[in-house]
Amino acid sequence: MTEAISRQALLELVDAWLGQGKRVFAPVQVKPGLDLYEWIQKSSQVHLDSSVRPANSIKEAVFPRHEKLYDYRYAGKQIELIGAAPPETPQIVLGSRPCDAAALEILDPVFNWDEADGFYNHWRRLTTVVSLACQGHDDHCFCTSVGLGPDSPRGADAMLVDLGDDRYEVRTFSPKGIAILAGRTESTEEAATVAPGPPKRFEVESIRRCLPEAFEKFPWPAMSLRCLGCGACAYACPTCHCFDIVDEGDARGGCRARNWDTCQFAVFTQHASGHNPRSQQGQRQRQRIFHKFRMYPDRFGEVLCTGCGNCTRVCPAALGVRPILERIENSTESQTVGRVSNPS
Amino acid sequence: MIHNIYQPDLMEVLQVRQQTADVKSVRVRFRDEARAREFSFRVGQFGIFSAFGAGESTFNLCSSSNWRDFVEFCFRRTGKVTESLWQIDDGDTIGFRGPYGNSYPMEKWEGRDLIFIAGGIAMPPIRCAIWYALENRDRYGDITVVYGARTVGDLVFRNELSRWAEYDRVRVVATVDPGGETPDWDGQVGFVPSVVEKAGIDAGRAVALVVGPPVMIKFTLPVLTRMGLADRDVYTSLENRMKCGVGKCGRCNCGPVYVCKEGPVFTLEQLRRLPNDS
Repeated sequence: MTEAISRQALLELVDAWLGQGKRVFAPVQVKPGLDLYEWIQKSSQVHLDSSVRPANSIKEAVFPRHEKLYDYRYAGKQIELIGAAPPETPQIVLGSRPCDAAALEILDPVFNWDEADGFYNHWRRLTTVVSLACQGHDDHCFCTSVGLGPDSPRGADAMLVDLGDDRYEVRTFSPKGIAILAGRTESTEEAATVAPGPPKRFEVESIRRCLPEAFEKFPWPAMSLRCLGCGACAYACPTCHCFDIVDEGDARGGCRARNWDTCQFAVFTQHASGHNPRSQQGQRQRQRIFHKFRMYPDRFGEVLCTGCGNCTRVCPAALGVRPILERIENSTESQTVGRVSNPS
Repeated sequence: MIHNIYQPDLMEVLQVRQQTADVKSVRVRFRDEARAREFSFRVGQFGIFSAFGAGESTFNLCSSSNWRDFVEFCFRRTGKVTESLWQIDDGDTIGFRGPYGNSYPMEKWEGRDLIFIAGGIAMPPIRCAIWYALENRDRYGDITVVYGARTVGDLVFRNELSRWAEYDRVRVVATVDPGGETPDWDGQVGFVPSVVEKAGIDAGRAVALVVGPPVMIKFTLPVLTRMGLADRDVYTSLENRMKCGVGKCGRCNCGPVYVCKEGPVFTLEQLRRLPNDS
């Protein structure tokens, strides 16, 4: 016996959430073939297509693109600071891809080691994730290479699996997930099937092991010649979490905010003196790969990547994680770390 | 209420001192009395200072950790935040987060001779350790300070060099780059690495702290190795660009280490294990 929910009942539930003042973040079809997660106003906007991967991620539900940290106000030589008080509004991420849901658990440790980030934890606490299992993948998907799959429960409170007849099998993984769907599901004898995930493209552990050697020997400059340094890879990535802290305002008052940032920008690491530890795009590409597949595993025990493939999907130059990792693994296996050809 | 690790403490500017044409040192004190009383740090740590309306910048705490009435930092007028800080005056308010990072192992250095080598604007991050050692004079052996700048006018905390030299078993060697001397300059003329080499320092039981521009560090480290100092006894402080100070914003890493968390203080032994990423 499994639990199921009809599409109609699900959409009614979405409208009920919105009516209760909850915020709902769900895939919206922008044009055929392009979905984006967006904050929706009504259930008719939701586009639950198990085979279209949104071109952004759900990280902005817990780590907004722009977030006010506090206001400052000058009063003569004195200054008053008013800490930001984000609302206590519960929010539901509906139709998250399993790879996006997993990203939240992967991000938890970096926002909580040593000093806990109250803003991240605030949104995380208020968020319930109802994911949608994938029924199909494209050439860029590689979740199976990083230990995930089309119906991974990681990071999700509940999951929908398409039964094919305008109904979804409902799987619940946490008290939050059970609570949010309680009373809306019905028992069924049917169990959904999940399409196979993408073929495994590389071994995470072998990548981790060969990266120190690849640091010097891999042809990062040649590999990044076509990179525009636009940072789209990082902005579309579910796990990239680098940020900048800036002031918006003037000498009378304003706010201090944090905004998404990326290691792909030259100014990211530039010292006041002008010296830049990562002055070349190749060094910046290398940083992104190393952070995800060596530094993060060494510090927090797992790779900072969910295999969603968004970095390549959105890249104007067809770069991104997988083409580079495959090249590194191939070149290491063939003992010719210096070889480079066009990524597939 | 959000646990807001990014919201700074407010500090009152007690005194601004112009050190060179483009360097100022600033004395500040927490506006909150209780915070001022309970605050402590270890020499070598850094803070993130705010000029509200301009932003935040990272500076070493260049006062001794024994000084309880104020904290000092020092900056060069270079960018948006430091331009804003350049305008501050006594009684103004700035923001402070910290202290962050590791520190100089002053306890571990007890019983050793100390060699301090600084270049240019990097005197402040060494000055805190010099004062700390002088205030605990009996715990350390001979102390040698080698300080170089481009010109006489670029020497920061120049008035303190002679005060340090008055202490027992302390030698201060000041130098300026060739062409940077003035007619009344009574220090040395030459680049820091060669001045260190010729200074006749007995490095037998010494540890060295070297902070300065990358090119000075690069040429000074081999000199220290030739003097017989082991890699584990040579320390430096890295100064990468930072935003959060708490290991999250992702930019200050040098290979696998976050300079804001595992640093800023590293031994040469540790640096040699890091990839060429700084």
